[in-house]
Amino acid sequence: MIHLPRPVIGLALALMLALPGAPALANPQLQAVITENIDQIRKPSRRTVAPLVAQIAATGPEGAALLAAWADRRLGVTEDGRLLIVTGDDATDAATGAAVAGADPDMLRPNSGVRGVIESALVVSQLSDPEPRIRAAALDAIARSGTAEHLQALRDAPADPDAALQARKDRLQTLLTIQHDSDSAARVAAIEALSGDVSLDFRAALNPLLATRVMAATEPPADANIAREITPGSDALSRDAAYDLLKANGTAQPRLTLAAQRDALAANIVDGRAGGVPVADLADPAARDRAYEALEAAGTVTPAATEAEAQAAIDAHRYFEVYAEADAAVTDAARAAQTRAQVRLAAMKGIDLGLDALSLASIYFLAAIGLAVTFGVMRVINMAHGEFIMMGAYTGYVVQTLIAGRTLSLLVALPLAFAVTFLAGVVLYRLVIRHLAHRPLETLLATFGVSIALQQIAKNVFGTQARPLTSPAWLEGAITVNDVISISTIRVAIFVLALLFLGLFLFIMKRTRLGLEVRAVTQNPGMAASMGINPDRIAMMTFGLGSGIAGIAGVAIGLFAKVTSELGQDYIVQSFMTVVVGGVGTIWGTLAGAGLIGGFSKVVESLNPGNTLAAQTFMILFIIIFIQFRPRGIIPQKGRAAEA
Amino acid sequence: MTRKPFLLQNPSVLVVLGLLAAFTLAVTLLSQAYGTGLIPTSTVKILGKTLCLALAAVAMDLVWGYVGILSLGQMAFFALGGYMIGQWLMYARTETIVAASLANNPIPPTPLELQQAVANQIFGVVGSADLPLVWGLAHSLTAQLILVVAVPGLLALLFGWLAFRSRVNGVYLSILTQAMTLALALWLFQNDSGFRGNNGLSGLQNIPGLDAVGQATLSVWFLWASAAALGLGYLLAAWLVSGKFGSVIRAIRDDETRVRFLGYPVEGFKLVVFVLAAMITAIAGALYYPQAGIINPAELAPIASIYLAVWVAIGGRGRLYGAVIGAVVVSLLSSWFTGGRAPDLALPGYVVKWVDWWQVALGLSFVLVTLFAPKGISGLFDWLAGILPPRRHGRDLGPDLGALQEQEAKA
Repeated sequence: MIHLPRPVIGLALALMLALPGAPALANPQLQAVITENIDQIRKPSRRTVAPLVAQIAATGPEGAALLAAWADRRLGVTEDGRLLIVTGDDATDAATGAAVAGADPDMLRPNSGVRGVIESALVVSQLSDPEPRIRAAALDAIARSGTAEHLQALRDAPADPDAALQARKDRLQTLLTIQHDSDSAARVAAIEALSGDVSLDFRAALNPLLATRVMAATEPPADANIAREITPGSDALSRDAAYDLLKANGTAQPRLTLAAQRDALAANIVDGRAGGVPVADLADPAARDRAYEALEAAGTVTPAATEAEAQAAIDAHRYFEVYAEADAAVTDAARAAQTRAQVRLAAMKGIDLGLDALSLASIYFLAAIGLAVTFGVMRVINMAHGEFIMMGAYTGYVVQTLIAGRTLSLLVALPLAFAVTFLAGVVLYRLVIRHLAHRPLETLLATFGVSIALQQIAKNVFGTQARPLTSPAWLEGAITVNDVISISTIRVAIFVLALLFLGLFLFIMKRTRLGLEVRAVTQNPGMAASMGINPDRIAMMTFGLGSGIAGIAGVAIGLFAKVTSELGQDYIVQSFMTVVVGGVGTIWGTLAGAGLIGGFSKVVESLNPGNTLAAQTFMILFIIIFIQFRPRGIIPQKGRAAEA
Repeated sequence: MTRKPFLLQNPSVLVVLGLLAAFTLAVTLLSQAYGTGLIPTSTVKILGKTLCLALAAVAMDLVWGYVGILSLGQMAFFALGGYMIGQWLMYARTETIVAASLANNPIPPTPLELQQAVANQIFGVVGSADLPLVWGLAHSLTAQLILVVAVPGLLALLFGWLAFRSRVNGVYLSILTQAMTLALALWLFQNDSGFRGNNGLSGLQNIPGLDAVGQATLSVWFLWASAAALGLGYLLAAWLVSGKFGSVIRAIRDDETRVRFLGYPVEGFKLVVFVLAAMITAIAGALYYPQAGIINPAELAPIASIYLAVWVAIGGRGRLYGAVIGAVVVSLLSSWFTGGRAPDLALPGYVVKWVDWWQVALGLSFVLVTLFAPKGISGLFDWLAGILPPRRHGRDLGPDLGALQEQEAKA
């Protein structure tokens, strides 16, 4: 049945009623039709109502308004045979448009079949409406639930002056041809015209054509459109499912389940014995079988198929997947089109996955780059790095509470987060790390102490509930390429941010004095010191820089994740992995590590959707194995520096 | 050169074992089941659990303090031990309950029905009704007791072999062990891994077949078992590090490359200690969780293993009694401060609530210990020993005959 959504009818009606002077105009032609057919209007039948509806529709806008009200169950009929359109408490005469006060009409309640006919007719008249909005609404309605009548209406409708609407109309016509045309050749031609298209509506049009059901028979059914024959016990049809099919056909008896056997025995206990077997012995499955057979022989229980009988019955039949669609030419064409669509779809999903992986990799890159650089220069892992990320996110939150404008607050938050965490990093270096030089494991643990203290302080200051960090309006929404490929703007922005920092880092490292000194200290601290470089100062600067970028990463992460005191913890292990996999001391290594980990986790996630835990487990196992083959990461340090 | 007997060589072992025995005896005499009842059962359980943690800390000290492997995955072995014993505890107890309820049926259940009913009872919470393959041995206490040491031991063997043979060490190794723990925790968090997802195993405090024995008595029994395990574990660890083996592993800690060049199979030594420590930790876990009553994957969170390292560092690593002191002191202090029983500290203008600020204090004091007292609490003993002059009974101060005599030096 067809249900035009109420808004469409309402819109049509509202426009018709709004026509200037319409209420005052009488429509004698409509009046005549009503008077002539009032009995049929009172008691319409789905089979015979179509000509009447067409007649009413032909009388002009008033007729259309009447039909809309009728389908909407807002049409009433008075004692003297006038039709009233009821809107809330008001009523107007359908033929004259005059307001009728104090009427008590008998409301008409057409059944859904009749309403379907009326609504189809309405759509047909709307398709040739002069108002483009109404034509678009009619197309929308057809797209939602098209029928064979709609197909005819689309074909009969005059060419649309609006090119876009005409294109939509053509496409809809093709889709409806696939589903509803009676001519097989036309349907095949329509399918081939759209072949390779990956849009949802085309795939939805193909699906019902390719729907199959499994049937069991001894010979191939002659009149059915067989998709393929399947053997029981395969993935498509388990042996149990095959037997269920036979049971449903009535060709096999139900098998005896253990529970049914137990219940049957329990129902037939006589004097502490069931089927001659003492109840106490029935804990043994073999004894139960004996008892049941005895009952069967006595005729107390219905005989049930034994396992061997069931298997023989399964093997005695052949199983066919049969298309619901009878026309083989159509299903062949649809199958081919679907295969082509699936191939293109897979490619596009791959692209979408790549985009996802890229954005995840940029987040890992931002989170890990600071860690990698400090590890490269000082050989220490800063366990408080995650808490610097958190600090950055909270800085963003605090700035947002102080500055109202979202864009402005973000522009302030980024450098401020950098400054705050840079400072925190320098303080941490001066107070703790400097005194633990050449003792990397102690540094790891000391910074861990800092990390738990910072986390708890954040909890005490900001509370345990998540704080929102709202992104500006221009970062909300998504960039959508088609039905498959889309990426949220915020992730694109983070990708850009990561690129920016990659560029900035490369510039600092390769083009500035600081970078030169950092590279020298990374390679050989002793030699660098004897060349007049102060390794202590360099280490402090690098540590501050790495921490500062963690702050920036915190703002970026906070924009799409909730800001809590555990924010950093969630990213720190991934950051460590990125550093370990990528290899220390090079930006390219971190980039490669982030790309590998981001890509791998997205791929695993897509292979095993809905189970991110499994994805993470596999990722970590992968990393442990990866380390076996490249213990120093993807891009290891070479030469003497590697052993330092 | 003859060597002195092992215990004489290490008087600290005797002291620790004596203190442990005295402590156990005292708690027993003050417990509700066997004594005056001054110590409530819940406290006995806390003390028993603390002894298990101390054993885990001894194992941690073995790998970190003596071989220099900062393993951030020890709690994985601890929890695995708990899971293995928990499987039997939960299965056997559920089986008793289910058998009792099925006995009311008109027909006695078949073994298959019984097993299905047990599986349904245990796994209904994660929407499954089949007994997973990993529970195949859960009905047998012997098998699960073997698995308590076998599973963590094999995991440690596999992981250690992979890691050590590719010469992963230092910070890299720490991160990898942390990753291993995280992977295991994430795997256990899944409902279909067969360990009831984040529900974990529960009701472990009820020992099947011992329902008649009250929790008060059971808690003391577990305290004895934990004390015995700690004593034996300590003895084993002390014996291991005292001989030549101990010298080699300490040498590996100090300079791995040099030991390798001297011809020692460094990887083998590391692997032995790593696997042994994993097994000791697993035994500690198997004793801990029946006292705790519940185990879930959150116990494997990487942070738990780091806390273990923190205890050892605060107690003083590189000496076994340091690990025991650290675990006992810090874990008891933590549960006191976070339990809300510690009095608030009133500073001018702000009242410090210890529930909120204990973590901060712990973190910062940990930084301070690392910076200023790398030997931890047990460094105090060195300091005390330094106050008293050594008893030389009038012999030379130096190695050769020309060295000053003690009397000459005083003059």
